[in-house]
Amino acid sequence: MTQHLTQQDVRAIAEYVRIGLNAEEVESMTADLNAIIDSLKPITEYDLEGVEPTFHPIGDLRNVMREDEFRGSFAQATALENAPRSQDDCFLIPSILGEGGDR
Amino acid sequence: MTSAANAAQLAPFGQMSVKQIQHGLRTKEFSAVDVARATLARIPEADEQVHAFLETTEQLALDAAARIDDAVAEGRMNEMGPLVGVPIAFKDNMNLTGTRTTCSSKMLENYVSPYTATCVERTLRAGGIPIGKLNMDEFAFGSSTETSAFGPTRNPWDLGRVPGGSSGGSAAAVAAGLVPITLGSDTGGSIRQPASFCGVVGIKPTYGVVSRYGVVAFGSSLDQVGPFARSVEDAAITMNAIAGRDELDCTSQEVTVDFTANLAEDVAGMRIGIVPAFMEAEGLTPEVKAKVEEAAAKLEARGAQLVEVELPNAKAAMSAYYVLGPCEAFSNLARFDSVRYGYCDPGHKDLGAQYEASRAIGFGDEARRRIMLGSYLLSAGVYDTYYYPAQQVRTLITQDYLRAYEKVDCILTPVSPRTAFEFGEIADPTSMYLSDMFTISINIAGNGGMSMPVGLGADTGLPVGVQLIAPAFHDSNMLRVAAALEVEYGVAPVAPASASGKAGE
Repeated sequence: MTQHLTQQDVRAIAEYVRIGLNAEEVESMTADLNAIIDSLKPITEYDLEGVEPTFHPIGDLRNVMREDEFRGSFAQATALENAPRSQDDCFLIPSILGEGGDR
Repeated sequence: MTSAANAAQLAPFGQMSVKQIQHGLRTKEFSAVDVARATLARIPEADEQVHAFLETTEQLALDAAARIDDAVAEGRMNEMGPLVGVPIAFKDNMNLTGTRTTCSSKMLENYVSPYTATCVERTLRAGGIPIGKLNMDEFAFGSSTETSAFGPTRNPWDLGRVPGGSSGGSAAAVAAGLVPITLGSDTGGSIRQPASFCGVVGIKPTYGVVSRYGVVAFGSSLDQVGPFARSVEDAAITMNAIAGRDELDCTSQEVTVDFTANLAEDVAGMRIGIVPAFMEAEGLTPEVKAKVEEAAAKLEARGAQLVEVELPNAKAAMSAYYVLGPCEAFSNLARFDSVRYGYCDPGHKDLGAQYEASRAIGFGDEARRRIMLGSYLLSAGVYDTYYYPAQQVRTLITQDYLRAYEKVDCILTPVSPRTAFEFGEIADPTSMYLSDMFTISINIAGNGGMSMPVGLGADTGLPVGVQLIAPAFHDSNMLRVAAALEVEYGVAPVAPASASGKAGE
């Protein structure tokens, strides 16, 4: 099997996608991802010279506009119903600056 | 006269057809409230082993049923829509106000929908009675329903085997006769493969036929919603209810066809494509191959013309899919941030640590794998090696189908290379991916495909489905062929172990 990704690479990806993995999980994820990427090899072996890509199955999509008029949407209370934590009609998160620390 | 006691003497409503239920309502043999009560009453016991349902919706069902009974009493039943009085249940990636929409993930375990998906809304507006939400592979990542965070669904035909996936709960609920109709979603085979494993009809319409609004997204250029049923007619009636333009999904298209219109036309004069390379594919079991050949012969005997067609690039579909699917999933699953909704791991002092812990705990193994794979495949330098070529391959596959449809009206292939496998039998993710080898190219090209049950395999004695594939926005072609196969094979039976139960037992 080709080593497409090292454990160091996998740790970097995990950090980027914000999924915390422990050392053991990094190890098994590295093996899984390398096996899966290996299985994708056929896509690299095609002669695709001059072939246009199709990014979407409905090729002739056009932007759809409507009149710019007011329409009802979620009330603030509805939008907050599923929030794990909220305060003063806002989503509540830990500090993003400095030392952190919840109020 | 109408009475719950009377209704209890009948076969379970979940084992009836749409027309049978509506006939009973019209002749006042039973009421819609009887239908709702008896259907709900049967689930705790009849679903105990199968575990298709994650949640039942008693109040919504009884409210809907009461409205239907009022309409019947006032002589307005015919105005209620094509699914009036029919119990229906939804894959748990479909929002329905007031229900949990978990995607079978710990991430959304406590998420309560503040709105309703268009496909769900349309079945309810058509008179359907909402019975509940159905188990699935976590975020629809899988082909066995084993990755559900809330435990697997079992195949009603053999409880030691998987129902397929990812819409395993949707297929099993219909096969077990718990409800006549369910909705599922299909990104690479997630309606057709479980329909095949459970011996029911399952339709993945052409991309754009059914609105995706309110269905939790996996692969936005691949996902499509469709029905499960035991008869082609019931599936077609459901298609009539859910298809068509929705201003909340800009990819949904105007659809005016009546999907029931050509079911009685039979197949004389139709040209049906056979793909020789598919029939010789490595891994295709002899019993499935024999069933596809048998179905082809029966269609030929009914007057269809069999024509060999080539899909030379279909073999690239698998790797294209396992590039495009994870890339789109990576993007879609970025929204689960532990702030607005979803699992939030408590006690973190900074937001980064809260994200990492919440997403690590909230997502299962397969979801993590696909998110990380998608991130890698879209990264600078790697993008040109996999993602861009995958989109070029998509062009080639689409052209293959267009070329084939110059010669044929519908294509007949296997759905899955084999019948339902045992729990734990396929543990390695790349082998699991192979169960979608015949279904994936249709999602890549975007046209419609369905699984049609054709009896039991000679070796395993388990249900086998054949796949019918239609040109884009000509889904009625495959329904017409399916109806002819149904004349040959009969309406799909309720799984034998589930068939004996009486309503309300």
